[in-house]
Amino acid sequence: MERNGEQEEYEREVMETAMRAGRLLLGHGAEIFRVEETIYRICRHYGVHSCSAFVLSNGIFLTAGSREEPGYSAVRHLPSWETRLDKVAAVNQLSREIEEKDYTLEEVNRRLDQIQAMPGRSGISQILAAGIACACFGFLFGGDWGVVLSDFLTGAILYIFVLTAGPSLSKITNNILSGALITICCIAFYRIGLAGELRPLLMGAILPMVPGIPFTNGIRDLADGDYISGSVRMLDAILVFMSLGAGGGVAFLLYHYVLGGVML
Amino acid sequence: MIGQFIAAFIGTVAFGYLFGIPATYYAYCGLCGSIAWGVYTFPFWNSDVVASFFATLVAAFLARLFAVWKRCPVTIFLISGLIPLVPGVGLYWTFYYLVTNQLEQMSSTGLVAVKSACTIVVGIVFVFEIPQKFFRFLAAGFHKGETCKKEKDNSGKGKNQ
Repeated sequence: MERNGEQEEYEREVMETAMRAGRLLLGHGAEIFRVEETIYRICRHYGVHSCSAFVLSNGIFLTAGSREEPGYSAVRHLPSWETRLDKVAAVNQLSREIEEKDYTLEEVNRRLDQIQAMPGRSGISQILAAGIACACFGFLFGGDWGVVLSDFLTGAILYIFVLTAGPSLSKITNNILSGALITICCIAFYRIGLAGELRPLLMGAILPMVPGIPFTNGIRDLADGDYISGSVRMLDAILVFMSLGAGGGVAFLLYHYVLGGVML
Repeated sequence: MIGQFIAAFIGTVAFGYLFGIPATYYAYCGLCGSIAWGVYTFPFWNSDVVASFFATLVAAFLARLFAVWKRCPVTIFLISGLIPLVPGVGLYWTFYYLVTNQLEQMSSTGLVAVKSACTIVVGIVFVFEIPQKFFRFLAAGFHKGETCKKEKDNSGKGKNQ
């Protein structure tokens, strides 16, 4: 009876560790397939063979239990995610190392703690990076130096907005406002004559808001046969596109009716 | 042309920075992005859709190769390669035309955007059908030239197989 209790405790710890690794992956932009595989890898390596995981884009269901092994089950809901591919890469590396080296469970948990506490990029550097990204793509879409400069400024202003107001707003509102803000900035730079063309300016400026990760991961999930998560992620991407376009359209309508600007 | 290449490289790395890609992979991300953009802007594709398809094939292929070579999630490189190709701009225009009631423009832009999105899907699905062994074989070639301590035991394994 004593042994049984000990084993149950051990198994619990294994499952919780696997769940933590899975949550870290799912919450920071990994595909469903990778989350499931990592959970299975950890469980099997530490001797829990009866585990089975069901992963959706915003939740993990994990159970274990057979005639030999005590039962365990857990459901974790992940209401939101942010893209931090460094954490995904770190957990992935950890799960490889678990197979190659012999980590104890405490070591794995300590590593997971470290990964969870990985510092994010500073606000200033994100703003600069967004500006540079916009400027480069403004150039690629055929803009001249004026467009590049205005794209840099628009990207920076957009990210200041995203970083300050973004967290407190719902996703749809955030994207509609971002779309409107981008369009207003672009029109302003166009009107004061800094940028000669509006089209490449807008195309470059809209790119940081494009939901690349949900779109790509959605495709990967669909390709792996995870249709539910794949379609949810695609829907997420489509909603973002819609909100951005709607915000931009409204800003353009205002510009047209209030200032009498031409429509594109 | 060189200017475009460099701009695509820097732009992709800047996006990678925003997504939190580890600094050691920047060069490969940039390469993925700029090569994909280079393929996309080849003059002999007669339509946007065909160009996206081939650019996606190249981007996904490179992403898988780098992922196996560098032993890290393929998403890191795939996202960098695809960022310039995702028809976000097209869809933005589509909804813009919808809001401003220019329905004819909307349907033509929207159709191209949806078609490009579909070709990207097909491109990724095709490349991900190639067995992992093939990429391991290619990456093993790269590993031979490396004397990195971490990779030593793995290349040894590769030779045995």
